[in-house]
Amino acid sequence: MAVAVAHDPSSGSGQAHGVDRLYAETRELRINGFLLFMVSDLVLFSSFIFAYLYLRQTGQGWPPPGISRLDVAFAAFNSVVLFGSGATMHFALENWKHGNFNKYAGWMLATIVLGAGFLSGQGYEYWTLYTKFHASWSGAGIFGASFFTLTGMHGFHVFMGICYLTILFLQTVGGVYTKQKYAGLTMGTLYWHFVDIIWVFLFSMFYLWQ
Amino acid sequence: MAVEHREPGAELDRQFWIVTALIAIASLAWIAFALAWDITKVLPEAVRPADLIDALFRFLLAASGVVFIVVTTYVVYFSLRYRRRADDPPDAIGIQIHDHHALELWWTIIPTVLLVALGIFSVRIFSGIYLEQPTNGLTVEAIGHQWYFDFRYPGINGVITDEMHLPLGVPVTLHVTSQDVIHSFWIPADRIKADMVPGLINTLHFTPTHPGTYKIICTEFCGTLHSDMNKQIMVVQDDASFKKWYEGWKVKNAHASNALPGTGVSSASVNLAGGSAANGQKLFTSKCIACHGTGAFDAKVVGPGLKNVLHDPAHPQLLNGTPANEDDVAKLIKSGFTGAMGHMPSEAENSLSDKDIADLVAFLNTYK
Amino acid sequence: MAVAELHGGGIAEHVHPEPHGFIRKYIFSIDHKIIGLQYMITAFIFLVMGGMLAELIRVQLMSPHGTLVSNDTFDELYSVHGSTMVWLVIIPMLTGAFGNFVFPVQIGARDVAFPWLNMASFWMFPPAGLMLYGSFLMGAPTAGWTEYPPMSLQGAPGTSMWCAAIFLIGVSSTLTGINFLVTLLRMRAPGMTLTRMPLFCWAQLATAPLLMIATTALGAALAALFIERQFGVPFYDPTRGGSPLLWQHMFWFYSHPAVYIMILPAFGMISEIIPTFARKPIFGYRMIAFSSVAIALLGFMVWAHHMFTSGLSPALQLAFMLLTMTIAIPTGIKIFSWVATLWGGKIHFTTAMLFATGFIVTFTIGGLTGVYLAAVPFDLHAHGTYFIVAHLHYVLVGGSLMGIFAGMYFWFPKMTGRFMNETLGKWHFWLFMIGFNGTFIPMHWIGLLGQPRRVATYDPQFWSSNFAASLFSFIMTFAILLFFVNALWSIRRGKPAGHNPWGARTLEWQIPSPMPYYNFKKVPMVFASPYHFSDPLPYRGLEGELDPSVPAPVPAGHH
Repeated sequence: MAVAVAHDPSSGSGQAHGVDRLYAETRELRINGFLLFMVSDLVLFSSFIFAYLYLRQTGQGWPPPGISRLDVAFAAFNSVVLFGSGATMHFALENWKHGNFNKYAGWMLATIVLGAGFLSGQGYEYWTLYTKFHASWSGAGIFGASFFTLTGMHGFHVFMGICYLTILFLQTVGGVYTKQKYAGLTMGTLYWHFVDIIWVFLFSMFYLWQ
Repeated sequence: MAVEHREPGAELDRQFWIVTALIAIASLAWIAFALAWDITKVLPEAVRPADLIDALFRFLLAASGVVFIVVTTYVVYFSLRYRRRADDPPDAIGIQIHDHHALELWWTIIPTVLLVALGIFSVRIFSGIYLEQPTNGLTVEAIGHQWYFDFRYPGINGVITDEMHLPLGVPVTLHVTSQDVIHSFWIPADRIKADMVPGLINTLHFTPTHPGTYKIICTEFCGTLHSDMNKQIMVVQDDASFKKWYEGWKVKNAHASNALPGTGVSSASVNLAGGSAANGQKLFTSKCIACHGTGAFDAKVVGPGLKNVLHDPAHPQLLNGTPANEDDVAKLIKSGFTGAMGHMPSEAENSLSDKDIADLVAFLNTYK
Repeated sequence: MAVAELHGGGIAEHVHPEPHGFIRKYIFSIDHKIIGLQYMITAFIFLVMGGMLAELIRVQLMSPHGTLVSNDTFDELYSVHGSTMVWLVIIPMLTGAFGNFVFPVQIGARDVAFPWLNMASFWMFPPAGLMLYGSFLMGAPTAGWTEYPPMSLQGAPGTSMWCAAIFLIGVSSTLTGINFLVTLLRMRAPGMTLTRMPLFCWAQLATAPLLMIATTALGAALAALFIERQFGVPFYDPTRGGSPLLWQHMFWFYSHPAVYIMILPAFGMISEIIPTFARKPIFGYRMIAFSSVAIALLGFMVWAHHMFTSGLSPALQLAFMLLTMTIAIPTGIKIFSWVATLWGGKIHFTTAMLFATGFIVTFTIGGLTGVYLAAVPFDLHAHGTYFIVAHLHYVLVGGSLMGIFAGMYFWFPKMTGRFMNETLGKWHFWLFMIGFNGTFIPMHWIGLLGQPRRVATYDPQFWSSNFAASLFSFIMTFAILLFFVNALWSIRRGKPAGHNPWGARTLEWQIPSPMPYYNFKKVPMVFASPYHFSDPLPYRGLEGELDPSVPAPVPAGHH
């Protein structure tokens, strides 16, 4: 819990100081709260991952009878798209901190586009599974329960992330944040990286370990 | 008692020690009662581990009773002794002691020692129940239904729906499972129970030691008539009476099917000639091992263990009720099976050819 | 954490503008004290409803073949009774109500970290309760508060409603946990180090991560059950590849920590009440604080002790048995420390203190039977019987509910500025003790002799014990009724109490009752632990709090 903004312990009286300090503090609180929210979100994913591992271990081999192996190459390509969006998000935040609005805007839009690209890729994969193997959420036994539930939940998080980043982008265009005050952007970046990290686990557990 | 802060009045006086002595006497009396009390007078004992569990119960009763006596007596005594009196000034305060490290250490160590003792005692009895029970006796299966129990005995076709009879002194291996929802198989006189979980087989081992009839009760909520799922009994009887009952059911059930209700079995037979046990072993480790262990019947993973499946006198029939011979094993592999333990995929789901099935049967035949 | 100490006041100095108008002030309030009272009133309403269900259960069980309700209705009664008491009464009462009302003031803060989030958490609670009771209209859940599949997959449509209701209250709990944790770690007054915090704050600090983490795991289990029931996606149905034991693991991974959510704050309240009325420092402050944290941590590692008969491998059973037993050590430390706090005191037996003392005795019984059940061989006998019913009620009624009553009598003057009636309070205490113990002591016995739980009819040999339990339960209900009469009467007619009637030393007692919107005119500095009765109060800056001529703080720099 390092404090990003310097405090002057003796500055309790100065009004201008006071407002700045208050901003820094409420921002700290929000980021703390957001981190804890991500911890509980992580628990949500972990619970479903536990369910998947448990069902996989009690089940009849993986993938279950009747379901083909998943297409690793395509998913790897799609993962690169998602991880790429993590990198572009990082650049967006860095450029914001340095005041390069145009570069920031470019990277931010790239992030949103890549995120949308990942979702389309996932949609394509679902469609392939459905048309070729009739694998649907409720019609593929524990494969549906684990694969579609977890990747679907992750996809929903990506979708929410895209919405969040879009709102943040509109806010920055509208001048809500400044070079010094950008708690929302920090939280957006944290969330986006969080979604990436979840995907690392899902990718290894569903695609690499078959 | 040396008190760190040396507050005036912070010494334990004679009255305190008298109360403590009374607590010690009451505790000893309680321990004597707990150890001497004959539990079987209120709840009879029918089988071997019941006595072990009663011993553990006595220990728990003795130790927890002492803790309760100590806590309650001191609470009541301190409450009376140190209550504010009418003649106390309104701002009177108690003796200002914050902690006492030796005392805190003791009341951490003593419960720890008690718990370690309890842990050791429990582990010993635990191993007595789970690991040291002889398994060479009678194998019985109990299947829970909404809202009754079925019993299956080796050598008797079909299910027995009224009572579970057991011969005195013969170790029993009881496998339990369920046909629909979770039930729990409890005989209070046995002091043990096991949940009947659909798709799983749980196992209890015990040896009947006292003849008599004992209630079997379902203790896991299983639907509308759960409250009434307590009408069946376990009968422990001498060997001759047991044989008579057993033979009676054998005649009665001669033409019954021993099947656990499940999907039908294909009638198409498989040509088993030329099956290769070596290939079968390979197939087994890639196709079957996920659900079937290589141990005995009750070493279940999802389905039963398949060691000796074609030659097991305790299980002369397969779970679908057909005899455990080569042809019927092949049919079972071909058609798959869905029963109380779960779903076994068919040859199509498992992508097996008839040749593969022949190889598998050859392997299972050699696998003893 | 060092931040709050460094820059005197800091976040704690932040003042929100005071709202005007009834709706903003009392309905959609963001004031932690009003939200606390909202939780309290709502939870008491659900206590009455859950209590009525309990009495219907007891009336049905007055004869072995009770005919008051059908078997199916009976199953609905106890399922909704259990769900109500756990999720709509005890958890909201101890965290939402007492947590919100008391601890922010105790650490010298003006509100919780996220007041709007706090309001949102509360407003998920009444709808969740209405949904749970609404499930009666479409066939309420019948498989108990644990709702084990496959039984719950067969349950009436209301079972899905149950899932949604509990999921909603779970989200509310999670958000409350996040809010409390940030508040406790970041918003303490200057000088309020962790080891100077009152023990109630320590209890909330240990509870908040449980709310935050365990409840989310329950959310996942509930979501899966809902999805399976409504959309046919197999998680739990064994005939389609699912596993009934998966639910048990996920459910108990939440519900065991939930047991500590339901008792740790009560421990905290007892640790405040006993020193106040014994006029003595709490004995072994550090050990009590440490044991709360230890219990919370161990609470995550023992869930499978609810599954000893389900078919776990013997190795797992052994591990969970031994881990479970270790919880008795920190719990014992707390009990012994409270007893030692009584020694040498000048104990003032108000009703609050009577309940706190009674708590020690009744909770000890519940704790000890917990050790019985931790031992696998004994659990093989007692699991699923009335012994479990007796044990859990000794913990949740003899523990949590007694703690709630103690806290009510203790903090009522702070909420209203008036005392509750002591005579009625003492009648409440003694009748409650008689009724409660009379109801649940016989249940240990009939459980061991062979009465399973969740039965609408039973073996006639258990008639006398069941009949006695029912009679005593009427006494218990009457006692609780006395409490409600007392509270309602005392809100307007109670004896005025002043700001600190008990001579308590934590911060909430140093400001007027009821507490003003901004809590503190000036955020105090804290110099020591609050429990040194022979020393002056360890706070500086509180001089103007009770002086009406000192102006209220001005909201400034509000973001």
